[in-house]
Amino acid sequence: MTTLLWTIFHVLVFPGLLFCVVVGLLLAGLDRKLVARMQNRVGPPLLQPWYDFLKCCGKETIIPRHARRGLFLAAPVLGFAALITAALFIPVFSYSVYSTSADLVVILYLLTVVGVSMIVGAAASGSPFAGVGLSREMVAMISYELPFVLVMLAVGRMAGVGTPLGVTFSLQAIVDWQAANGNLLFHWSMIPAALAMLFVIPCEIGMHPFDIAEAETEICEGTLAEYSGPPAGLFRLTHCVKMYVMCALFCVLFLGGISTGYAALDALVMVVLSVVLTFVTMSVPHAVCARFKVEQVFKFYWTVVAGLALISLILVWLGL
Amino acid sequence: MTFDFSNFINNFPILAIMSLFLGAFVSSLVGRRSAKVRNTVVFLSMLISLVLILALIKPVLLEGKIINYWLGNWEPVNGWAFGNSLEVDALSLFFALIVVVAVFVSGVYSFFYMSHDDSLVNYYTLFLMLSGSVLGLVLSGDLFNMFVMIEIMTFTAVALTAFRNHYEGALEGAFKYLVVGSLGSTSVLIGIALIYSQMHTLNLAQIAAMLPGYDSPVILIAFAFLFVGFGSKAFLFPFHPLAADAHAVAPASISLMISGVLTKCGVYGIIRLCYCLYQNMDQTFVQYFVTGIGVISMFVCVTMAFNQHNFKRLLAFHSISQVGYVITVIGLGSALGMSAGLFHAMNHTIFKGLLFLTAGAVQHATGSLDLDELGGLSKKMPGTCALFLIGAASISGLPPFNGFASKWMIYQATFQKAGETGNFFFVVVCVAALITSVLTLASFIKVAQSVFFGQLNLKFANTKEVSLGMRIPMWILAALCILPGLFPDKVQQWLLTPATQAAMNAPGYIDAAMGSGYAASFAIPAYQPQQIFLSGAWQPVMWLLLLISVTLAVCIVALLGGDEKATVTSEISADTDCDPKYDSFFSGEASVYSQVGGSDLFWGFKHNWRRYFSFMHDWHSGVVNDYTLYGTAAIAVALVLCVIFL
Amino acid sequence: MFQRMIDKSMAKSPWIFHINAGSCNGCDIELVSVLTPRYDAERLGFRLTGTPRQADIVVVSGPVTSQTKDRLVRTLAQVPEPRVVVSLGSCPRSGNVFKGSYCVDGPLEKYTHVDVSVGGCTPKPEAIMAALAKASEILAEKRKEMRQA
Repeated sequence: MTTLLWTIFHVLVFPGLLFCVVVGLLLAGLDRKLVARMQNRVGPPLLQPWYDFLKCCGKETIIPRHARRGLFLAAPVLGFAALITAALFIPVFSYSVYSTSADLVVILYLLTVVGVSMIVGAAASGSPFAGVGLSREMVAMISYELPFVLVMLAVGRMAGVGTPLGVTFSLQAIVDWQAANGNLLFHWSMIPAALAMLFVIPCEIGMHPFDIAEAETEICEGTLAEYSGPPAGLFRLTHCVKMYVMCALFCVLFLGGISTGYAALDALVMVVLSVVLTFVTMSVPHAVCARFKVEQVFKFYWTVVAGLALISLILVWLGL
Repeated sequence: MTFDFSNFINNFPILAIMSLFLGAFVSSLVGRRSAKVRNTVVFLSMLISLVLILALIKPVLLEGKIINYWLGNWEPVNGWAFGNSLEVDALSLFFALIVVVAVFVSGVYSFFYMSHDDSLVNYYTLFLMLSGSVLGLVLSGDLFNMFVMIEIMTFTAVALTAFRNHYEGALEGAFKYLVVGSLGSTSVLIGIALIYSQMHTLNLAQIAAMLPGYDSPVILIAFAFLFVGFGSKAFLFPFHPLAADAHAVAPASISLMISGVLTKCGVYGIIRLCYCLYQNMDQTFVQYFVTGIGVISMFVCVTMAFNQHNFKRLLAFHSISQVGYVITVIGLGSALGMSAGLFHAMNHTIFKGLLFLTAGAVQHATGSLDLDELGGLSKKMPGTCALFLIGAASISGLPPFNGFASKWMIYQATFQKAGETGNFFFVVVCVAALITSVLTLASFIKVAQSVFFGQLNLKFANTKEVSLGMRIPMWILAALCILPGLFPDKVQQWLLTPATQAAMNAPGYIDAAMGSGYAASFAIPAYQPQQIFLSGAWQPVMWLLLLISVTLAVCIVALLGGDEKATVTSEISADTDCDPKYDSFFSGEASVYSQVGGSDLFWGFKHNWRRYFSFMHDWHSGVVNDYTLYGTAAIAVALVLCVIFL
Repeated sequence: MFQRMIDKSMAKSPWIFHINAGSCNGCDIELVSVLTPRYDAERLGFRLTGTPRQADIVVVSGPVTSQTKDRLVRTLAQVPEPRVVVSLGSCPRSGNVFKGSYCVDGPLEKYTHVDVSVGGCTPKPEAIMAALAKASEILAEKRKEMRQA
């Protein structure tokens, strides 16, 4: 009975639904505020993403004639659920709920499911703008996946070098290794990988300079072109939560060793670090850069970012 | 005299093969009179072979028995095998299971799919001969018998490729397959001849016992010939253009056979060749060679699939790409690699079969396979669309489908190999496998968008969903996509571990045929069962339960907060047909047919790779002379490499 | 409670979709200037959206030419309820200097109910801001009416 209650608590409150949503909305609000301040504007209130989401809930849902009704409505829910499931498996430093199954490859794929659900939703809406949008989303996905994979392998090798198999993909093992040997961010050979991961974060989320899939000025919100009402709100919410999940993943991969031992305090540290990461990886590029073109994103990620990650991987492989 | 079941079971393999060949014979005899009788004969012969092979699961896979059947009771004398034999160990049975299930599904599908064609007697005769030959190949214990089966397989497959000869390119595809396929068969024959000249025997077990200690350049040359020959049957690089030409024009049920079953014969041949006959998988060169071919096939074919406009051509390239995965991990030479490869081989037959059948359904309903022309079929064919999405998710390796379970093992296997050997080459392999997976996903997004979603071409406004008889085989395959994905540990326990151990256990295979102690007399060390380690954990049921519970939580929260009056979900009724409110937003323009064509997707990716794509475009010239040249070059390169490094 | 929260946030997050119905581009530029750091409409939650499906406030500028009429009507129909229509500048209200031209099918009232109208050729950004603020109030009221109906 207590196990069941604990499971419900984990899924609904911490580190599941409620925690993710609250932190995600907070990060998104902060991001908008920070960007506004950097552009010398007042900016929207901190709770603006929350208002946006609520407003979407109060609007009518129009299902276009060319849309495939079931998929059109199911896609946002499925994407959101996959994202929360991924979040459940990311340990908050030493506090991990499902430690045995926390696996990096699976989280990578669950994040892909989030992207795919958006793509499927866009495809199901039947709009030509969404068609262009989903093509761009897919190109973005191909772009960041290569550096992401390289970073993953570098971390897995670094943390797994002492194990009998020479490699680990378990997030818990990576955190334990860092608790014993110091954070990966401060191992000089891992710094390029950390940089690459910082670049992967905004593209994975689809933040401004890399928001080629939702370019509202070019292709009318792209993948979201036909979405209105609560489903559109849910997609926006997914976007916010993804900000937290990606930041948390970075923290676990590169700063996993700074556990205080108290879950609540750990969560707080995680939130603070996420805010810092949001500022560095999302707000600054957003305020500074104009939107990239599709082929520029691809080129940038497969040359510069993947190159950085590859340097780390080779260094780690040489035992440095 | 009491009935001895355990002895009786020895007859099952030959009966399963004979049932298919007999079915071919009988159906051609009686088939001209009545379609019903013919279909009954075909169905029965498929069912009998399916049941017989399924009955072998318990003794062979679970109890580890190796069935040896000497034709005409010509058992070996004084350590020399004169007779022809069938030898069924867990590996053979694993592939035989793949074959019979695929044959059964494809046959049932054919009853409905082919119903509009004429001269169906020829079709079913050829179809059953093809099925019988592949089953014979994987169960055979004799090298020359394998060659005979390969020949039957190739020629029936060629004839079936050209079966719908009114299709544009059908004869051309079949001709290319004939010429280049013969090149592959010849290569196998030369290899067998060379081995026979040295070993003076054709029995697999006896050759396996004698080869490893035998030192002669001739057997190295034979290795190259046999490898390229089996590789050509699996359509590995550089034989892959062939598959595309053949698949695009063959009936969908035959595409399933070619991609799901024929390629597996090549894979089976390579496993037997490297693990059993030569037992040279622990040599670094062989690992590089096999894995390298696998990676090249995997990557080249997935990029080629990007440029295709024909649904089935695209699937054909993916098929080789997935076989590339299998060969890649088989080349690692580790137990985990072998079991990942076998798992993926099995899954590939299932999901690629499903995809080919959905392509067949689309073709059956609309008469077109052109990705630039089709669109919006999800409203007309919702069942087929759902099946396609399951297949696409499986091949792209999305959890919780079977493709994910096997790909996940593939990544583990490659990276573990890299970790153990400290060799950077295997890291590159792992990265290539992951990237190929993303590109596969992209490619299937393209198909989904351009066939099932988007706007309906007015040409296809009267499209109807295909009949239930065609959908049931597809649902069977779809169920097979989901179950292994949810319970990979059970698959591992019941199918993969026995098959893996059997594949690595060459002395056991030898002793079962030639009598115990035979392998030891040739100084082949006894086999130590290898442990299969996984460096991570994947518990799909747990993940799925969590996913469902989160979905439920989201829905409950949404329902608690929602208000029906304010959030009106507009029902589509008859009078909304001309209401502009429900049109797609197209900057205010009237909703005209404005589908984004399949070839227009992924511009940003293609633009950066334009040099590579234009090179590949020129390289795949479509000229049979060129393809023969590539095949010959492959033999030459393999010969040189084997002689230098082996 | 949830419903009341939605009601409250309705006025706080109005997203704008802008339709140019044959405008000379003067009003359009002024609308964009509202979003610049000087006036910063985002502090009130305004945001330009690219698709009518996610719009709450539709801003129409221009005298509604015969070429744009159909597109205008179609796009307006595609905005989900509750929605508010704002006419920007003198053109959609009266036709302005284009009145009587063979190619002008205005005014905007002929095709839709206009909730807020800003005069001027072109209106000042301050006036546009005031109109948008007014429009978001109307939006919240419409939402309440919808819920009670």
